Amino acid sequence: MAETEQTVYIVEDDEAVRDSLSMLLRSEGLAVAGYERATRFLEDWHGGMQGCIVLDIRMPEMDGMELQEELIERGSHLPIIFVTGHGDVPLAVEAMRKGAVDFIEKPYREDQLLEKIRAALATDAEQHQGREEKRLIEEQLAQLTPREREIMDRMVAGQANKVIAIELDISQRTVEIHRSRVMHKMGTHSLAQLVRMVMSVRDGDPE
Amino acid sequence: MSTVSETPTDPEQACVLLVDDNPQNLKVLYETLRDKGYQLLIANDGEKALQLARRHHPEVILLDIMMPGMDGFEVCKHLRADTDTALSAIIFLSALNDIDAKVRGFNMGGADYIAKPFQAQEVMARVDTQIRVIQLERVMQARNRQLESEQASLLNAIFEGIYGLDPQGVITFANPAAAEIAGAEQDALVGRRIGDLHFTHDSGEEASHAGRVLCQDGAAVLRRGVTMTRADGTSFQAEYRAAPRFENGELTGSVLVFRDITEELAQERALEETRDLVAEQREQLAHASRLSVMGEMAAGVAHEVNQPLTAIANYVSLVSRMMEKDTLDQDALAEVLEKITAQSHRASEVIRRIRQFVHQPATGKETVDVARLLAESREFAEVDSRNNAIEVSLSIPQHLPYAVADPVQVQQVVLNLIRNALEASRNCGSEEPVEVSAEALKDAVCVRVADRGCGLPEDAEERLFQPFYSNKDEGMGIGLSLCRSLITGQNGEIGFERREGGGTVFWFSLPLADGTVPDPE
Repeated sequence: MAETEQTVYIVEDDEAVRDSLSMLLRSEGLAVAGYERATRFLEDWHGGMQGCIVLDIRMPEMDGMELQEELIERGSHLPIIFVTGHGDVPLAVEAMRKGAVDFIEKPYREDQLLEKIRAALATDAEQHQGREEKRLIEEQLAQLTPREREIMDRMVAGQANKVIAIELDISQRTVEIHRSRVMHKMGTHSLAQLVRMVMSVRDGDPE
Repeated sequence: MSTVSETPTDPEQACVLLVDDNPQNLKVLYETLRDKGYQLLIANDGEKALQLARRHHPEVILLDIMMPGMDGFEVCKHLRADTDTALSAIIFLSALNDIDAKVRGFNMGGADYIAKPFQAQEVMARVDTQIRVIQLERVMQARNRQLESEQASLLNAIFEGIYGLDPQGVITFANPAAAEIAGAEQDALVGRRIGDLHFTHDSGEEASHAGRVLCQDGAAVLRRGVTMTRADGTSFQAEYRAAPRFENGELTGSVLVFRDITEELAQERALEETRDLVAEQREQLAHASRLSVMGEMAAGVAHEVNQPLTAIANYVSLVSRMMEKDTLDQDALAEVLEKITAQSHRASEVIRRIRQFVHQPATGKETVDVARLLAESREFAEVDSRNNAIEVSLSIPQHLPYAVADPVQVQQVVLNLIRNALEASRNCGSEEPVEVSAEALKDAVCVRVADRGCGLPEDAEERLFQPFYSNKDEGMGIGLSLCRSLITGQNGEIGFERREGGGTVFWFSLPLADGTVPDPE
């Protein structure tokens, strides 16, 4: 799979605003995709998208708030910067409460918007990396046999080899062999790191 | 009172006074006339007769000529001289059967004559006749008096001055009101020429008022706002009517009825001023309402202005970045600058529309192209339409006739109705468009704004157009009452209908301009 480039998705019904912002962001070297309607963006949306959304709060048909809800429903991780008009601050606050990263009021200073976009892209990159790590850990966990998984759980819970051997009624030597296979498959040498990897998967994703 | 019979007094009953110095004669007369329904009075000399006559006003007096002391002729003279008794009919009685006495009796005002010795039939017949005559006379006099007093009170009570004029314009009659208005005694007016007295402002042209009021062409005239002069030379504003008088087909003059309308004119002016004031206040209210509509629409309007401003800011930032580069792409720069220009035009257009809506003065009535006005109104409503996510459709027939109206006020009404319709639709979750249509009626242009909202409550008919009635939570209740005020101010009508299948149609009509239909292009 090719490395996905971060893209700024502009969802804005006003053609002039969309066009000018697209040109401005491209001149900053950013990849941009413009959408006139929220529904058009949803048609293109997929879970592998990286970058951020610059989303107009007021639009015909589906407005910004509705798109946000739909994206949450679909499990999108893309950070959203809401663009609001005068008097829409209460809406923006509501959007923030639902997880939008930021909002900016029109008309805005372009350096402020760029700053917010860069911050959003950084957040996305970070979250993307985190997600990648988790995915890797989960892949590694998937390679463990049920016996190895059982022994790893006890290791992470802090049980000594001797205790594990007695409780599972196997030899301590057998425990040691399983343990070294677990460490190998999980790609680590330190018990502390193994614990951190397992915990991160458990915390972040209940799955 | 022994001389008065005991017959009870009855107002309808005629009274007869018998006067004779001879008791025998009195007895005969009394016997003859008793039980005939008369009230009988008896006197045996002239003095007593006068006393009784003064007290009882008898219809008939049978009066003996030959009496000691005051004779019949003497009594008659006294009776005639006293207005209280002058009306009684006197029938002389005498043994004298000579012509001289009869003639003298008639000359003195006697009504009849009876010779002695009395024939009962004759006495009864003559008395009865006189009583009927006198009663008829009395009725007639009473009627006359009543008529006279009615006429007098009419003429007196009329606050309009009335003159009788002869064909030369000389005043032959003036009522008290005429004297009052003219500022002179009634008597002093009669005999004066109407022109010299009242129309000194006449310019002497042939159609002068002094001439007109004579109605020499036989037709009545009515004039208002005429300057008339009073006796003292001061003047007043008058209205007059003059009607010709004919006798046997001959024009014998005219009757001039006139009144001082100075105060009336002042009241009319005051009324006119009040009307102007009301119109002015209506315009102020309309303006205030436009401001408040603008306030309600502020968020949308800010959005409208912000879009181009945001685009401009973006393009300008882009330009500065392009200029920082080593090589300047002239073509790209020109393209961006072009876009900036377009967006600044767009922003100023929004501002222009807002200003036009809020600050337009009422232009008064003019010929209005309703089709164009509706198209413009829809533009105004576009922001609201977008915010409510409901379309506003427009359906106007070709060659819609022009109307006569104040375009600014009509536009305000249209916008108000469209905004109400959008709100009603949104509150009801309807996504059907708001339909604005127009049609030509026989003598009006009718505009309709239809929605698929929740419809109106049952009692809407009574209350909807009342001020301060609103079925919106945040409504002031000014909108529709102002709409009605504005439309009726244009001689139009406004109303609503419930729509089959839900929703409401608000309509209003405006009077047509004079047969103008837009040229087919």
